[in-house]
Amino acid sequence: LRTEIMALKQISSNKCFEGFQKVFEHDSIELKCKMRFGIYLPPKAEIGKCPVLYWLSGLTCTEQNFITKSGFHQAAAEHGLIVVAPDTSPRGCNIEGEEESWDFGTGAGFYVDATEEPWKTNYRMYSYIKDELPKLIKANFPADSERMSIFGHSMGGHGALILALKNPGKYKSVSAFAPICNPVQCPWGKKAFGGYLGSDLTKWEAYDATNLVKSYPDSHLDILIDQGKDDQFLSAGQLLPDNFIAACTERKIPVVFRLQQGYDHSYFFITTFINDHIRHHAKYLNA
Amino acid sequence: MENEFVFSSDTAALDPATDPSASTMFPESNENEPEGLTFYHMDLYESKGRLEIFPEEPAGRGDGALGETTEESTELGEDFRSSNRSAYDLEKEVDELTKLYGLDEDKEIDQELLGGNIATAGILESKEIPAVKEDVAAGSYGSIYNAPKSSSPVNGSQHKEHMESTEEQELPGKEDESQHLHNAKSYDELHNHASSKEELRSDDRQTEQSIQPNSEEEAADIYCATCKIPIRAFDKLFGDHKDHEVTQLANAVESAKEEIQKNMCKLEEQVTEMENFAGHLEEIFITVEENFGRQEQKFEMHYNEVMQTLTQRYEEKVEGLGEEKKQKLEALYGQLVSCGENLDTCKELMETIQELCKDKEKADFIKVKLGEFLKKDMDLVLSTLPDFEDRVIDFSDVQQLMDSINTIAAPSAPVINPQAPNSATGTSVRVCWGLFSDDTVEFYQLYYKQVSDDTPSEAQAAPSPPIIKRKESRSCENAALVCWESGNMNPVDSYTVELSKLTNGENGDIITDSLINPNLDPATALQPSVSLCIHYLMQFQCAETNKLQTFCSLVGTYFYLNEDTAHPLLSVLEDGLTIACSEIENLECDLSFRDNGFTRCIAILGSMIPFQGKHYWEVEVDENMEYRVGVAFENTHRHGYLGANSSSWCMRHIVTPARHKYEFLHSGTTPDIRITIPPKRIGILLDYDNWKLSFFNLDIAQHLYTFNSHFQHYVHPCFALEKPGVLRIRNGIAMPTSITLL
Repeated sequence: LRTEIMALKQISSNKCFEGFQKVFEHDSIELKCKMRFGIYLPPKAEIGKCPVLYWLSGLTCTEQNFITKSGFHQAAAEHGLIVVAPDTSPRGCNIEGEEESWDFGTGAGFYVDATEEPWKTNYRMYSYIKDELPKLIKANFPADSERMSIFGHSMGGHGALILALKNPGKYKSVSAFAPICNPVQCPWGKKAFGGYLGSDLTKWEAYDATNLVKSYPDSHLDILIDQGKDDQFLSAGQLLPDNFIAACTERKIPVVFRLQQGYDHSYFFITTFINDHIRHHAKYLNA
Repeated sequence: MENEFVFSSDTAALDPATDPSASTMFPESNENEPEGLTFYHMDLYESKGRLEIFPEEPAGRGDGALGETTEESTELGEDFRSSNRSAYDLEKEVDELTKLYGLDEDKEIDQELLGGNIATAGILESKEIPAVKEDVAAGSYGSIYNAPKSSSPVNGSQHKEHMESTEEQELPGKEDESQHLHNAKSYDELHNHASSKEELRSDDRQTEQSIQPNSEEEAADIYCATCKIPIRAFDKLFGDHKDHEVTQLANAVESAKEEIQKNMCKLEEQVTEMENFAGHLEEIFITVEENFGRQEQKFEMHYNEVMQTLTQRYEEKVEGLGEEKKQKLEALYGQLVSCGENLDTCKELMETIQELCKDKEKADFIKVKLGEFLKKDMDLVLSTLPDFEDRVIDFSDVQQLMDSINTIAAPSAPVINPQAPNSATGTSVRVCWGLFSDDTVEFYQLYYKQVSDDTPSEAQAAPSPPIIKRKESRSCENAALVCWESGNMNPVDSYTVELSKLTNGENGDIITDSLINPNLDPATALQPSVSLCIHYLMQFQCAETNKLQTFCSLVGTYFYLNEDTAHPLLSVLEDGLTIACSEIENLECDLSFRDNGFTRCIAILGSMIPFQGKHYWEVEVDENMEYRVGVAFENTHRHGYLGANSSSWCMRHIVTPARHKYEFLHSGTTPDIRITIPPKRIGILLDYDNWKLSFFNLDIAQHLYTFNSHFQHYVHPCFALEKPGVLRIRNGIAMPTSITLL
């Protein structure tokens, strides 16, 4: 059974900056469904183990968006980083209401372990990203499991922040593009957390970056956040970075938050600053 | 018995083809041999190596023949040794010989001698043969081996006969000549040895002896390297030397000649050495004489001095004592006199009283007089103590004098000659000095120490090193700009700039390059404020004094603050790298006269080396300070704010009621950046290669912001204060590894 589960099915492989961008499919234990993930293997991976950088995408995304749109490959190849981009939720679990909205269910796992029916069986994206996927990567690729970092966009930015804040020391660094910083306070978060976690607010706060900062034990985490100033979701109050910055300032968690003039929430914004983020992570991963 | 000399004569003579009768005639010495030579018997059988030391011992004798004799002796010994094959025969012969001479008692000795010969290893020097021959021809040869023969011709002839008969016995046609000769020689040896000194002393005429070589015998024609003797080729094929290594006799002779030549050279060297040594001894002799003479003089002088001092002291003391005695006596006498007077007065008074007792009428008058008298003090205290005051005589100076006799006067310091031009390199220096003739100094200890930069120059005659304008010097990892002015009134030919690489080891700096008077001719080198830019420069050296001045180490970028550019409210503290502003007020109105200083922004520019590459420096600020730090072109607007124009780039910190606000200003615009931890130590990295200017929070190694700008000109660090406070700059430091990745 185990070998069957660990088995990876290569969906695609494309040479890119002397390395390879590949997509694999596997049967997830956590999510009890077939999951796909993109993985970029830099040229360095052919001669030795490389650190791994996990990318968490935002609402509605699959593993494809990041690998096709962000243009991270050149920087990853240069810094010798393996970049893993998983899907954003379980798929094809035939849960009622799964496909009803774009901000809940399929494509909107919110990187939590659901506690409510009917989601709690499959919607365990937090554990999937935290445990199952790194194990899988370590077992199948030349990955240095001691050196990993995480970043993401929007809902994925939220995921990256909570994974880093909930697991001090696990990730060498964290960064985010327009992350949902305080989901318990925003419409997206309220909807998702209510659906996956029920009405208990303390459960919500366990997946809320702004709340997690308040109990983060040390300051050995360098957080880089880029935010488009013309991001429609920023003005809609979905992202709430100010709350997060205020909490970090108070708790003396180092954050550089860059409000980028004129940029929106799109992958064009991500593409513009992806190199800064890759370099940010490489600094800690290759130290 | 002179056969040995036949053997050692020309090889041609030994050739079987030649007429055997044409044997060499040998002059025999009738001189008495020096007794000492008899001692050489033992040495004859010593190895050649041992013989090398021989000539040294009798060096004084100047007897050239002696050395040769020795060598021949060696040869003889060798030959003798080679004859061990026929040792038995020899013994027999010896027996006969001893019988002949009636010297039975010596037999044992002879046998021992034989045995010793056999055991002794040696080198046969066949090349010596010609030399021997020459001597022989010269007829000046006096051999001890001839002596016995010459001392007793009868014996000699008997011996010869005997020898011949031996030949017949021993060599029934097949015994080779050399063998025979060896035997004969052995006889000779033994005979010689057995001979008493009396015989040696006995006077005899020089006789000639011819050799009658056996016609059957052949001369040796090749040389056995194994046995070190000449042999016949025949022997090589069939004889004892069958498996031995052989060479041509001529070759062997050549090599032996070379050996002698070498020894000659050695001897010459030794003679020279001895002469030198003798000369040295003479010098020492003279020096000792001089020194002792001088020392005697010195002692005399000292003792005289001490005696004089003592005498003087004695006189002083005696005089003092006399003076004191006189004073005391005078005082006592005075008192005695006054005592007598008082006594008289008392007597007078008593008499008066007695008179008055008789006359009662004048009682009133007496009362008065008596009262006056009684008022008078009776001085009965001794004005002077009779005892003698104990006085300590101070002998300390005498003691000093005495001590100084035993101590050797310290020699005067040697006079160091002024350094000659170009007598030194970066690693060596030639020091010349003279000493006072009065001093006897065995040696001087010469030591050196690194002259630190702030030590004033000790050289008087030599020109002083250039004065480095340390404040104006700038450097970075790959370049340095040095300003100096000549510290000399006299012209200096050149300066040497040495470039050395700092090493971690203890070997000090490795000088990697050296530039003499770079880019400058001597005339301009003397002009003040000439700037010099040298890559990889580390040390500055004045060639004349060899005084090294490490004036900059290229660890990171070093710059200085250009105070001309400072706003009047901004002051640079003593360390040259701390700026302070005590109060903010509007001074704009009266700043028109300033042409280079900032007038609006309380700022100052640094002067950085115009060199591409990476430059790094740090700024320390207080969390609540308001400041601008960054870079600016040298001609940036003095009336504007840093970052507000296109000629400056800076990070600005201001404190708003809500938060710390950080701006990264260029052309008046800034990205909107929020920083959660206010930096206290800011790292600034200027990277011309990648057109970047980056800022870091050093305490947490956090990258804050990077300007991407293609700097068209060289930029200089700039610093501004917007609130009263202090800002510290650190430069000349290595870039932390934590930020090198970015």
